[in-house]
Amino acid sequence: MKKLFYTSILLLSIACSQDYLNEPKPTAQVSAEAVYGSRSGVEANISGILRLQRSLMIGRTIPDVCILSTLYMARSVKGADIIATNWYTYDYQHIFREATYRRSRFNWSFPYEIIRNANFLIEGVENSDKLSESDKKELAAQGYALRGFYYFQLAQEFQLTYTHDPNVPAPPIVTKPNQEDQPMSTLKDMYALITQDLEKAVADASTARLGKSYINKNVAAGILARVYQVMGGSDRASAYWAKAETMAHLAYGGNVAAALDANSYGDGFNDISNKEWIWGMPQTADQTAYYRTTPSSFSDPKRKKGIYVDKAFVDNFSHTDIRRLFIENKKAKPEYRTFTTNKFAFSFDADMVLMRTAEMILIEAEAKYWQGDETGAHDLLYELQQNRDPQAVKSSNTGTALLDEILLERRKELYLEIGTEWYDARRLQRGITRSAYHPSDIDLAPNDKRFYLKVPQDEIDANDQIDESVNSDR
Amino acid sequence: MIKILKVSYMLSLVLLTAQVKAQQKRVSGTVVDEKGEPLAGVNIVIEGTHRGTATDFDGKYTVEASSGQKLTFSYVGYQSVSRSVGESNTLNIQLYPVSKELAEVVAVAYGTRKKNEIVGSVASIDAKTLQKQQTTDIATAIQGNVPGLTVIQSGGQPGSKPTIRIRGIGSINASADPLVIVNGVPYNGHLNNISDNEVESMNILKDASATALYGSRGANGVILITTKRGKRNSTPQVSVRVSQGLSDPAVSFHKVLGARSYMEYFWEAMRNKELYIGDDKPKPGAATKAQKAKAAQKATDELIPTLGYNPYGTLEKPVGTDGKTLPGAQLLWDTDWKKALISDQAFRKDYQLNISGGGDRTTYALSGSYLKQDGSVIRSNFERFTTRLDLRSQVKDWLQLGLNTDLTNSYQNNPTQAGGAIRNPMLWVYGVSSVYPVYKRNPSGQLIYDYKGNKILDYGDERPQAAMPNKNPLGVLYDDDIKYNRSHTGINGFAAVDLLKELQFKTQLSYAQYLFDVEEYFNSEHGDAAPVQGRVTKRRDIYKTLDFINSINYKKQLGHHNLEAQALMEAYDLYYDKLTAAAEGYLPGVKALTAGTKPTEASGNPVEERLVSYMVHALYNYNSKYFLDASFRQDGSTRFSPDTRWGNFYAVGGSWILSYESFIQRIDFISFLKLKASYGELGNNKMLSGSSDWYFPYTVQYSTGFSQLDQIGVIQGGAVDPNLKWEKTASFNAGVEFGLFKDRLSGSFEYYNKKSIDLLYEKPLPLSGGAESLTTNVGAVRNYGYEVSLNSVNLRNPNFEWRTGINFSIDKNEIVELTQKEFISGSKKWQVGRSLYDFFIREWAGVDPDDGYGMWYKDVLDKAGKPTGKREKTKTYDEATRYYQNKRSIPDVQGGFNTDLRYKNFDLYALFNFSYGGYVYDSEYAGLMSSLSDAGSQGSPDLASRWQKKGDVTDVPLLLNSKNDFNVTSTRFLFKNNYIRLKALNIGYRLPQDFVRNMGLSALRFYLQGDNLWTYQSHKGIDPEQNLGGTTGDRSYLLRTISVGLNVEF
Repeated sequence: MKKLFYTSILLLSIACSQDYLNEPKPTAQVSAEAVYGSRSGVEANISGILRLQRSLMIGRTIPDVCILSTLYMARSVKGADIIATNWYTYDYQHIFREATYRRSRFNWSFPYEIIRNANFLIEGVENSDKLSESDKKELAAQGYALRGFYYFQLAQEFQLTYTHDPNVPAPPIVTKPNQEDQPMSTLKDMYALITQDLEKAVADASTARLGKSYINKNVAAGILARVYQVMGGSDRASAYWAKAETMAHLAYGGNVAAALDANSYGDGFNDISNKEWIWGMPQTADQTAYYRTTPSSFSDPKRKKGIYVDKAFVDNFSHTDIRRLFIENKKAKPEYRTFTTNKFAFSFDADMVLMRTAEMILIEAEAKYWQGDETGAHDLLYELQQNRDPQAVKSSNTGTALLDEILLERRKELYLEIGTEWYDARRLQRGITRSAYHPSDIDLAPNDKRFYLKVPQDEIDANDQIDESVNSDR
Repeated sequence: MIKILKVSYMLSLVLLTAQVKAQQKRVSGTVVDEKGEPLAGVNIVIEGTHRGTATDFDGKYTVEASSGQKLTFSYVGYQSVSRSVGESNTLNIQLYPVSKELAEVVAVAYGTRKKNEIVGSVASIDAKTLQKQQTTDIATAIQGNVPGLTVIQSGGQPGSKPTIRIRGIGSINASADPLVIVNGVPYNGHLNNISDNEVESMNILKDASATALYGSRGANGVILITTKRGKRNSTPQVSVRVSQGLSDPAVSFHKVLGARSYMEYFWEAMRNKELYIGDDKPKPGAATKAQKAKAAQKATDELIPTLGYNPYGTLEKPVGTDGKTLPGAQLLWDTDWKKALISDQAFRKDYQLNISGGGDRTTYALSGSYLKQDGSVIRSNFERFTTRLDLRSQVKDWLQLGLNTDLTNSYQNNPTQAGGAIRNPMLWVYGVSSVYPVYKRNPSGQLIYDYKGNKILDYGDERPQAAMPNKNPLGVLYDDDIKYNRSHTGINGFAAVDLLKELQFKTQLSYAQYLFDVEEYFNSEHGDAAPVQGRVTKRRDIYKTLDFINSINYKKQLGHHNLEAQALMEAYDLYYDKLTAAAEGYLPGVKALTAGTKPTEASGNPVEERLVSYMVHALYNYNSKYFLDASFRQDGSTRFSPDTRWGNFYAVGGSWILSYESFIQRIDFISFLKLKASYGELGNNKMLSGSSDWYFPYTVQYSTGFSQLDQIGVIQGGAVDPNLKWEKTASFNAGVEFGLFKDRLSGSFEYYNKKSIDLLYEKPLPLSGGAESLTTNVGAVRNYGYEVSLNSVNLRNPNFEWRTGINFSIDKNEIVELTQKEFISGSKKWQVGRSLYDFFIREWAGVDPDDGYGMWYKDVLDKAGKPTGKREKTKTYDEATRYYQNKRSIPDVQGGFNTDLRYKNFDLYALFNFSYGGYVYDSEYAGLMSSLSDAGSQGSPDLASRWQKKGDVTDVPLLLNSKNDFNVTSTRFLFKNNYIRLKALNIGYRLPQDFVRNMGLSALRFYLQGDNLWTYQSHKGIDPEQNLGGTTGDRSYLLRTISVGLNVEF
């Protein structure tokens, strides 16, 4: 009997040991020390952030507000070239800008989510005592580039263009992990940060990279070229145009012939290895956004997902232009459903484009134009035109007509990619005019409020530094 | 801890040596009842011997015993009393009657206790009550039977888990589910794996004194399930129950438009869009005739191209420019999606077998069952096999061994039937217009058949976005699978050793393995996975639970002093291993994972949780009149950092049985009266992240799995509070239990007050911080309320017996502390003094008679931007102000009542449950009242009263095929949600005993059983049971089931 009693005492004390409780550890996670303790750890962090741009993994599944491409798609349908009667109808109708709408929320929260990760990356890398100084610079550069890129998106989505008035309220600036609530900034402060981040990125980034979805010197330069393009506005005297030219040139490498590959234009825009692609988002069967693969899931005629092309826009393409990838359905009812485009071929493993050489060539041409070098601009433009259409004829345009030709070329080259028409109308403070061919023939005046969105209600509700009045004049 | 061990060890040594040999002597005395009258025939036994005697007619007795020996006085209907023989030769005893109910022994935390010894709040549901209902998940049987409980069954998938809240909602983001204990150990399986026929009792522990023994897991209450055991010295008993029945949805659906009226309404919506939307358009109501004619023509022309389908076949423009269907137009189809997708003849089959018995030393009980219940969504079902065996043996006089094992398997065909996924058939019932056919038709509208002569499902390429193109819900239900298989195996053994007469050591070891297996098959020809030629996803979650409890129990009586003490140590380990694999590329009909051409996913990782606890518990009573109960528990949990890991929990409680006092005994009509109170502090260690458990919430970590092609990818895992600690709840309970008129009327009244602090909450962060929320300890919530339970025996004679019972609770929920002024959480805003469930939404201001546009109220602001107190109407939803509506989603009063009637061989039992004072936001109805803004989405016949022309006074805005906010969240669709439901009705006939005996049986009963047969609801169209937040979610409907059954015993 006594033996039993002693045994019971023994049993009771078996698990007293703290070790029993210290044993279970997280198995699917790694610590910050491990991530920022080695180059490969940081590279994994960068890879993760890039994946985040196209990931449905964190509960974002609504087709029009889930990945980076959906932000661009919403811009694409806000012009006059594309007609949307699908998930993007409200964007197309310019009525998706209220504070409680998911467009406003996503276009705000998505960039900030990546910015948060970039802030962690930058701080983690710069405070690491395990990385060499050169590694630190090169790795942090990718964080700075991402941060600059996404603040650039915020600046465009939530305010008129920089040259309209740099002193108006812009989204809050957050540059540290877990920073306290920040008030609205100004466009001026925001562009100061964007240029500072991107200039640092261009200076420090390597030309080598892990793959074409990663940011190297060329990609950073390409983003910065876009930023300067916006900051230059329509001001011939602006110093930004020279900078835009340099950056665009750096981005595509400067050799137009080598940077273009006309034969692959009709291949479906689904392969990141295409030499015209500077930056993109890759997909494979097991790493896919499924039906959220944008724009192909919506625009591929086989999917019948309600993306049509304006007839007037189609008419801008000569029949020998390799970019004329339209399908005409003469029996379509109503008429606006006549033209669809084969530019993007849908599949779950279709890669998604973010930046191409042709855009950079056209930025360079435009920068030359604004700086007064119309000949240089025209030559560059014609070089691209020739590449796209063997029977292209050099126009006799000069002055504004030449600028308009460059802008049209941008639309023809880049439609459904990065919302070019909307982007150009904003930065040059022009309007957008739709014909009666459109089911929703709404025109936007220059600097129309519908060029930007209201601050999302959730931000107002949670941020102590921003109240309802932020939207009173939006 | 070590101290406790030492003390108990020393104590036992003292007791060992305290045995004194004593002289035999003659003890005598008188035994009287509670009124002082002598009791004849009282049994007196000398404990530990077979010797004894009984009292004579004058209540007198004499017995030979030695001092130190103990005499036990027992008499039927009275509480037994044990007394030690002391110096004196006289021992007079008073016995108090026990009401039958109070003599019951009920299961409590780590043991059992007589009902009248309980100082806290414990409600019990016995096997009899369970068997009067048809449950697929036994937890639903609690509803309407126990006051203070909220039970909500969301949706009609058989076997789905109900939401249970005990005494209010004390958690926001942590799980507020009660802890489930089966036969003494935590249960990590799915409750639908336990069949009602296995269960002897289900007890609900509500207050601190009852749940504090579970420390960090006790804050949300505990459900204790005890399975059947055999009785010693009983003949083998076999019971068989067989029942079969039919089910359909318990309440009627919202009405929807037929194809003809839909097309006319949609024509109007198109015409209005053409007329009013766009630059330079007239204001509604101000259009000229010419403008109207032009718009009408356009609507007539484009109606069919816009809808994409024409149920009038070749009639190109079926709706004329007057908005009316052309005379003589014949519909070729008019799809009733509900009829196509919802069955009103779902089968239920239930077979149960119980065998039990016992000998001198050993008892056994074996239960087995088979259940198959089809759901109302076609193809949904639940099928279950269960077995359980309980064996116990008194191996030696000092050693008892027991073993309880279970083996269950359940299969569930569980097509999505709630939420926004296109797969959900409910979305089709309320979302897709009747103009779209289920089956493929040729251009002239005739059905097309495949080569086998079968109809072909229509996948609707031409349907507009809102009508879900490229999808067919029947295809989803028939050609795709979402199957759940759950199997649970448990072994639960114990050994109890009597170390000394007063001292017992008990060790209990249990191991359970629960396998949750999901098989998803999306077919290769149509739908989600068609582009990849089909996808199979297999998910296998294994839960291994090991629980080891060792306790020393001490029991001692000294005169009128009765003491019980328990020291206990528990080690708990949950190992949870998740594995998911998927592949794509399948031949039609092939569903095996391995047959895929391309593996696309392989993921999974194990997590582990451990808990180490030390507990002491002491109970004292004086003369069975005054009771004291105190417990202390220390828990260490791996869910928290080593710094915040350990927590202390305690409870004290007391009760006083007044009816044993002479001043109450003088009052004739009071047969029983007890006062009780308890206070304690408990914890809640369940963490949730989203809807899944969170095992290491305090760690700042980077999440893996974000690979970019073949580069490993990790991302920062969101904002984390490293000092996160568990929620604590301070719980007070006071109550009175009574029996009147010889217990013809009995009941209880209780008051509770629970304050939960350090609530885990996903505090919304500014989106500009990049993390949407931070899980942290925020604020405090108080739940308080009253519970009333009354039972009466209205009539009782050999032929006729009628009992009724009612119970209800008034539960209040109040936020008492927040770390910031307020939070907006969906349709609610949290503010100190408000409930967590107070609707805070925009207020509908009706329709402007001038233009038919919907309006909402907004505050008039002064120059400083502050509200002036005045309100005005606005047509811009975003500008409208959100207001508290003084309406909550949780009810003011909820409860149930039952009646139990027996006349000769007939019996009838009915149970109603009810809920009063809650509100529900009906987004299904909102969807149907959309003003037809999107082509192809279904509408309600209530659109008939829409605004049509200037001056129309109505609450329904104009039809408008353009984005509008008319049906966005506002009070327009907030409805009262009162209901009463006949939850169970059981009518039986027991064959006469003589007749049955001749057949060699001991009992034979036929019965008719109905569940949810009748529902009264203040808001019709949806099931009144939705969720705690009072929001709908396109859920399928609860089932109404009617069955016939047979119960045989021999």
